[in-house]
Amino acid sequence: MIHLAKEDIKHTLGKFVVTAMGVGMLLGIVLIMMGVYRGMIVDVEVLLNDLDVDLWIVQEGTLGPFAEASRVHEDLQYTIESLQGVDNSSAITFQNIQLPQGKSKVRVFAVGYDVYGGINPINPARLVTGRTLATDHYEIVVTDKTGFTLHDKIQLGRNIYTVVGVTHGSVSSGGDLLVYISLKDAQELQFSYSNKRIQTDRARGIITRDTHMVNAVIATVKPGNNVENVAGEIRKWHHKSVYTKAQQHAVLTKYVVEKSSKQIGLFTAILIIVATIIISLIIYTMTLEKMKEISIMKLIGLPNSTIVRMIVEETLLLGILAFMFGNIFSHLIYPKFPKRVVLEIPDAWMLFGMVVVASIVASFIAVKKVINADPAAAIGD
Amino acid sequence: MNDNIAIRVENICKSFGDGDSFIEVIKDASFTINKGELAALVAPSGTGKTVLLMMIGCVNEPDSGEMWIGTEKVFDNRWLTKETRKIRREKIGFIFQAHHLIPFLNIINNLILLPQTNKTDEKTSKAEARKLLHYFGIADKEKAMPSQLSGGQNQRVAIARALINNPQIILADEPTAALDTQRSVDVMKILKKIALEQEVAIIMVTHDDRMLPYCDRIMKIEDKKIVFV
Repeated sequence: MIHLAKEDIKHTLGKFVVTAMGVGMLLGIVLIMMGVYRGMIVDVEVLLNDLDVDLWIVQEGTLGPFAEASRVHEDLQYTIESLQGVDNSSAITFQNIQLPQGKSKVRVFAVGYDVYGGINPINPARLVTGRTLATDHYEIVVTDKTGFTLHDKIQLGRNIYTVVGVTHGSVSSGGDLLVYISLKDAQELQFSYSNKRIQTDRARGIITRDTHMVNAVIATVKPGNNVENVAGEIRKWHHKSVYTKAQQHAVLTKYVVEKSSKQIGLFTAILIIVATIIISLIIYTMTLEKMKEISIMKLIGLPNSTIVRMIVEETLLLGILAFMFGNIFSHLIYPKFPKRVVLEIPDAWMLFGMVVVASIVASFIAVKKVINADPAAAIGD
Repeated sequence: MNDNIAIRVENICKSFGDGDSFIEVIKDASFTINKGELAALVAPSGTGKTVLLMMIGCVNEPDSGEMWIGTEKVFDNRWLTKETRKIRREKIGFIFQAHHLIPFLNIINNLILLPQTNKTDEKTSKAEARKLLHYFGIADKEKAMPSQLSGGQNQRVAIARALINNPQIILADEPTAALDTQRSVDVMKILKKIALEQEVAIIMVTHDDRMLPYCDRIMKIEDKKIVFV
């Protein structure tokens, strides 16, 4: 049997391929949007997994330090470490800063940690060159995407920092590039004011300021101890909010990325609907262009099923070809996105399923047009 | 029923609209065309030629009457089968004013489209198509697209398409209207020849009096009825 769809496509191959490429770019953007969402989920877990601690102790009544502002005293780490069942504890700070790079600035998320403490947030597997921090002052470990290299000098506040290590793939839960500085430097950066501000504060009678604050205390629990029990003890006696790793993960996904993921999900859904409408319009137009031929085919006796099959096959082929172009397009452009984009095969298959369904739906109007076509219209001119 | 009859029509009527817009186009039209006859249907515009052609082509349903194609009764105040498209596919060939070949199919595929729809295998249908292309002197054009052929060549392919399923009748709607005189004469000679050789009845709508000498019978629509001249 003659394959009508194949012959029709062969006849207008260039037009068909260009159309598929256009729709493909739209589908490619759908894949990228899915990848951005996946990237957000991965980013949320990077710092949490690199730290790999059992407990997060934060300001009472807050979801800190990622979902809500949290301040606790630095020396809380010693109290926590002395508790039964706690193996290690360390004070930690988080803050967004801008690193000067030439005439522009790079937004980063700085992790301040106790260099001599028992918990190092720098995952050795991510360290591509150099070392972790070794002294309390003026050393910085940066992520490669910041553009800084080993031994670069960076002006931060009143001081100059030296890059002593470069990591790869370190990002905050918000997708910002991570840098690591000592806890003392982090506190200095957070609480040191300009000379003019200090003068003004003194004139207002503000003489002292407490710089020994941190955003959280993190702790590991000794093997054989129940994490929940230790967390319960801290909540009970120290008036702090305590989250286990799983709870912190839930906080991050629920409060930090939930709205963003919903936004991306909605945007993706709209794009799929737009793609369906576009495929539908293209197929409808292609069918309208063939109405005379369709009337002739019906007049000479071709059954509707043969003509409908041609329309549906062309729609499906357009969808599949567009899907292939979409994959190529998304894989070509995703590395150029500033934040992490994770393209996953199951997402691509899910989109493929959607494209097939959308293509069939898209062909309905054209098929209706075919069924209603008047064979007598072939007679005349 | 006479085996020599290709089509027999008895008292068919067709009207459109109702109330003030009621128009009766064909009333109690009856005629018989035998196998091998080339009949011309001549009438001024708007007198119902196309309506009649669509009824005997099993495209539009008459309001009443009876109709036979060959020995098979196909209409008796209603279609006697739901598959009128099957009747068209198997018993009727169509030739149009323009060639109306499928533009995205090459010549041989245009010809074998119907036989393949009728489940004839590809080898047999291609052999039949090649025989017809040879008969019409365009055997070397089987791979060409319709856009690559002249108007006359395309019209010959269209006639070949109408013949490929060995129909009992061919309905031709002004098949020479788009051609110059010489090509029109060529087409008429071909139609005359195939009517005789293939024993098929051809009913041809035409406005061109110069083509009438090639026809065996001339039908006119007068007062909504068919009369033979």
